[in-house]
Formats: sequence, C-alpha cells, structure tokens
Amino acid sequence: MSAVHLTLALSSCVAAFSALGLAMDRHYEDSYGRGKAPSSGLRRALRLVGTGGLLLSLWACLAAAGTAQGWVFWFGVMTLSALSVVLVLSYAPGRVTRVLQGGVVLAVVCAGWVVVG
Amino acid sequence: MKEGFRQSMAWLHTWSGLLVGWVLFMVFATGTSAYFRDEISHWMKPELHTAHAASQATPAQAAGQAVRFLEREATGSTRWNIGLPSDREPDVRVTWTRPQPPGTPRQRPLAVQLDPATGERLAAPRATRGGDFFYRMHFDLHYMPALWARWIVGFCAMFMLVAIVSGIVTHRRIFSDFFTFRPRKGQRSWLDAHNATAVLALPYHLMITYTGLVTLMFMYMPWGAQTVYQGDQKTFFAEAFPNAAGSAPQKAAGRPAALVPLGPLVEQAQARWQGAAASRVVVTFPRDANAAVTVYRDAQSSLSSNQASVVFNGTTGQLLETRGEAVPAASETRGVFVGLHMGHFAGPVLRWLFFLSGLAGCVMVATGLLMWAVKERQKYAKALAKGGRIGFGLRLVDGLNLGAIAGLPLAMASFFWANRLIPVTTADRPAAEIAAFFTVWGAATVAGIAWPARRMWQVQLALGGLLFAAVPVLNPLTGGAGLITAGAAGHWSLVGFDATCLLLGAALLASAWWLGRRKPAARAGTAPRSAQAARPAQPAAPAPHPHPAGEPGLSPARHTLAAAAAEGSSP
Repeated sequence: MSAVHLTLALSSCVAAFSALGLAMDRHYEDSYGRGKAPSSGLRRALRLVGTGGLLLSLWACLAAAGTAQGWVFWFGVMTLSALSVVLVLSYAPGRVTRVLQGGVVLAVVCAGWVVVG
Repeated sequence: MKEGFRQSMAWLHTWSGLLVGWVLFMVFATGTSAYFRDEISHWMKPELHTAHAASQATPAQAAGQAVRFLEREATGSTRWNIGLPSDREPDVRVTWTRPQPPGTPRQRPLAVQLDPATGERLAAPRATRGGDFFYRMHFDLHYMPALWARWIVGFCAMFMLVAIVSGIVTHRRIFSDFFTFRPRKGQRSWLDAHNATAVLALPYHLMITYTGLVTLMFMYMPWGAQTVYQGDQKTFFAEAFPNAAGSAPQKAAGRPAALVPLGPLVEQAQARWQGAAASRVVVTFPRDANAAVTVYRDAQSSLSSNQASVVFNGTTGQLLETRGEAVPAASETRGVFVGLHMGHFAGPVLRWLFFLSGLAGCVMVATGLLMWAVKERQKYAKALAKGGRIGFGLRLVDGLNLGAIAGLPLAMASFFWANRLIPVTTADRPAAEIAAFFTVWGAATVAGIAWPARRMWQVQLALGGLLFAAVPVLNPLTGGAGLITAGAAGHWSLVGFDATCLLLGAALLASAWWLGRRKPAARAGTAPRSAQAARPAQPAAPAPHPHPAGEPGLSPARHTLAAAAAEGSSP
C-alpha cells in the first residue's frame, strides 16, 4: 500500500462519513444550531459525496492492495475513519464541515496524483 | 410470557455477553497484542536491540550462511529449521533437533539467532516467552491442559457469536445512530460507546469471532471427518493439509552425502512464486543420502494460511514436489478463514488497522460488561438511598469487571516490567515472568472483589497507566534501545512498542483521572430525559449527572437496552 493510496483511501473515507453524518438531522443540528436542517438539495449532495467517497476509498484499496487484501484494507479504513468522524461529531461538531472540506481536497489531490503519476 | 422477538434477543444479548464477557475481554486483549507477537518478543530480548534493524542479506544468502553454522554446530541432527530474515524479523532463527537415543522423552529443539550476513551467533538473549505468551494464552489459557482451554475459549467464542448476532437484532437504530456518541450522559453514553465500537468495527468482530472458531473446527466438530475416514485422523490430516506430511523420505539412508548449496534452491523457489519471498527452509536428514530441502513461501503473499512450499532432493537439488499451489476449494476456504484470523499476510499498515479494530473489540466487551453493572445498580438505587446494600450478583460482577478490565492491563504492563527486572540468571526465568503476570492479575482481581469501589478502579487504572507510560523510560535503563536510539537506527518495531505503551498508558491514566473528576454531589442530577428529548442540539451542554460505573447510587436514567431501542425508534 503506497502512502498516496493510503492517504486517498483514508481522506475520501473520512470525507464520505462526514458528509453522511451531516446529511442526518441530528448531526446537522449539532453542527449548525438547533432547528436548522439541510435543504433537500444539500442533503442529496451530501449523500452523493458520501457514496462517491466510499466508492473512491474502495477503489484506492483495491488498486493498491489487490482484490483479496484490498477488501480487508477497506473495512479497516472504514472502521478507523468512522470512529474518527464519531469523535469529531461528538466533541467538535462545529468542525465537521471543515473536516469534510479538507478530506475532499486531500482526496482530489491524491486521486489526481494517482491518476497522473 | 409474551415477549417480542427483539426483547428476547435483548435478553439473550445481555446474558450471553455477561456470562463469558470476562474471558472474552482477555481473549480480545491477548489476541490483539498477538498481532505484534514478533515485535513484543523482540522488545523483550534487549540483548538483540543493537543488531541491525533491517536484514543485511537476501534470503538466499542468509540460507547459505545458516547452513555453514549448522554444519559446524548441529552435527548429527536429523532436522534443521532455518527461519529466513524478513521485514518483521531481521535475524535468522535456526532450530535443530538433537540426536537422542530411542525411547527417551522428546527434547525441545535447540534455537539460536544468527546474523543473516555472517551466519554468526547473535548475543544470547535472555530466556523469555516474549509475545508468544500472550499468543498462547489467547487460546490455550495457562496452568491447565491446552485441550480444556481450547474448549473453554471455543465455548466463549460461540457465545460471542450469539451475542454479536443478537446484538445486531436488538440494536434497531444501527443506521440512524451510526455516528452517535453522546458524552456525559451516563448510561446513555455507555450504550453509545458500546454501539459505536461494535457497529463501526462490526465486519472485524464478525470475521474474527467466526474465523476464530474455524481455526479449531476439527476439534470442535470432528464428526464429518471421523465418519468419512472412519476415525483415521492421521490420514485425514495428511490429505487435508498436504503441507504437514509430504513425500520426502521419512528415514535416513545411513550413507553420508554432501548437502547441495541452499541459496540457489531458495532462488528457484522464489522465481516459481513470481518473486514472493521465501520465509523458511527445512532440511531433513542433512548430509545423508536421503536429505530433502523444503522451502516455504512467505505468508504475506496470500490471505490463505495454506503455505505454499517446494521440496527438493537434498543431494542433487532436483525438484521433487510443489505443494499448496492447487489447493482444493474447501481447504482453501478454511485456509483463507484461518489466514484472516491470524493476519500473517498483513503488512505494517493493515496490521495497525487490525490492532485498532482489536482495541475497539476490547472497548466493546468492556463497555458491555460495565453497562450491565450500571443498569443493575439502578435497581438498588432506592435501597442504597436508604443506606441499604447492593446484591451479591452485582457485587460479584463489579469485582470481576474490575479484575478483568482494569486488572488485565495492569498485569500485562507488569509482565513487561518483570521481563526487565527479573535477573537474567534466574532459573526457569520464563516461568518467573509469567508468575509475575498472574500474581498481579490475581491480586488485582481479589482486591477488586474485596472492594469494588470507584477508588479501586482509579487505583488500578492509574497503576496500569503509570507502568505502561513508564515503559519507554524502563526500556533504555535496562539495556534496551530507547525511543531516540531506536528511532535514529531506524528500528521501527522498537519505536512502535515504546510509543504504543506510552499511548496505552496515557489512555489508562486519562480514564483514572476522568473517574476522579466527578464529585459525588453531582449524583443529585436531573430527571431522566427520553431519547427523543435528549437528542436534539445540546452538543456542549454540560450534563450535571455524570456517573460512570462503580459509583454507588447512580444515574436516575431508566432506559433499559430494549426500552431505549424501542423508544428511539418512534419517529
């Protein structure tokens, strides 16, 4: 597993779980204040980022570690990412959006690196 | 009794988990540590810390050098085993059987660690079981016949599987509570922590429990093989695991003959495996006309535990047989399950991911056990308020929780300290280290049962935390390579050990501090909130009624597991 692939897998997975978390009323409220809810368009976009991020993360794992180990890797990466996102959502809910943005940027850079390099 | 399906599952989950929880915590903790079994063993032999961090020779060169050593030192032996250097184990480990007259009890083979480049002995390390102790305890326990132990551990693993499945059924808000952790909310927080560590690492928990049972399936369920082979276990194992038996000569010819150079054979085998490294070479009847050389493939190249190997004639170098390249589907399925459980294939990153998932498993079991005590204690809330006492069952569970959850880390840390503090010349030193481990663990459990109070949790967690956190100090003071020395030399396995101990120590100390932070006055707390009312938007509201396990007269919150699930599921 190269460092770029690992970073790609982790960052896209963290971004994906942050997006999926924000798409839920409870966590959106925690993050943006009571009574606030994401618009249906935003909610759809967040879920799209979530699904796309998880798939991108799976692709990075399979590409770097092969089919057999890639799946094992992916489950491990998902566990680590989801636990981290839970900690952010519980202790620093205001920062989730920042984490999501950072994750997306890092994932795009790494994906570009992997595709071009 | 008319109960819903989910309620009965909640009951099953609670009791199947509680019954075997303490054993499971030990099994999870020792098993998690076993991912770094080689690294722990290396750390526990500080005499070897100054050796090179990375092997200075290729496997083929190392094999050639090891043979020169064995021809000199192991004359008359009928079997040499040469463990080749790898990323995790930079030294060559040779073991050989000693010639012994027939009829005498079998002796343990001799083992020596060699420098891969020169084939010379490394400094003799102290006698210790090292990481193998935790690895063995994971399924063989200790101080009892291995067979009983495996039945006990298997029984507990089966209950674990039951607890996982019934837990999934009970937890009806898996997706809507996926990211939920509400700190400082008493029993609710324990439930959230239990759910998060269970759900988010669920693939791992299911995999590790199921594959753990598979590793010993021929012991737990021998009937299929017994029926087909009519009780002939030997033939069955020879056919199911061709690696174990083999077609190499089983007897010495009695005529001396020169052994072929091993280097080219190792290279030939590696070429056959598309460059996958060789991990081990076994020579049977060396320097005899019937000599055979078996080269084993490194485990990293395949998920399966069915290790491929190539057998050569030991005098001509002619290829006799290849094994494990076309394994039958059933055997390969089992091989992959067992391989997944052991994780030998995992490189450093994946190994750490496994380790983290294992820690999540420890937290899951621990929070589950604590939650039982927290809930049970509420039944005594009124009695306690009137100055009454808690029941025997709760007291016992409290004590055992203490001994298992706080006592085990303390004992594990003590094991590492014993490794460095027991004099090197002590007779039967490995047993002394192990005795230190069980003495501390036993004392912690007895103390826990005698006085299962919050103060005892704090004392044991803090002690364990201090011992762990001080390991990086102890290490260089007792002859090992410390964080700085090892880091400069690129000895990452040693750095990893010290750093992990430091982090574990910090985590234990933090838990001890967290327990001491709250004042008993906070117990007066607020009225219980329903899951719905508690849910929205109070992220940072300081909850006035924190109360982890172990505090007498706790939490007014009234949710039971099933009630919480039922309540939460209403829209």
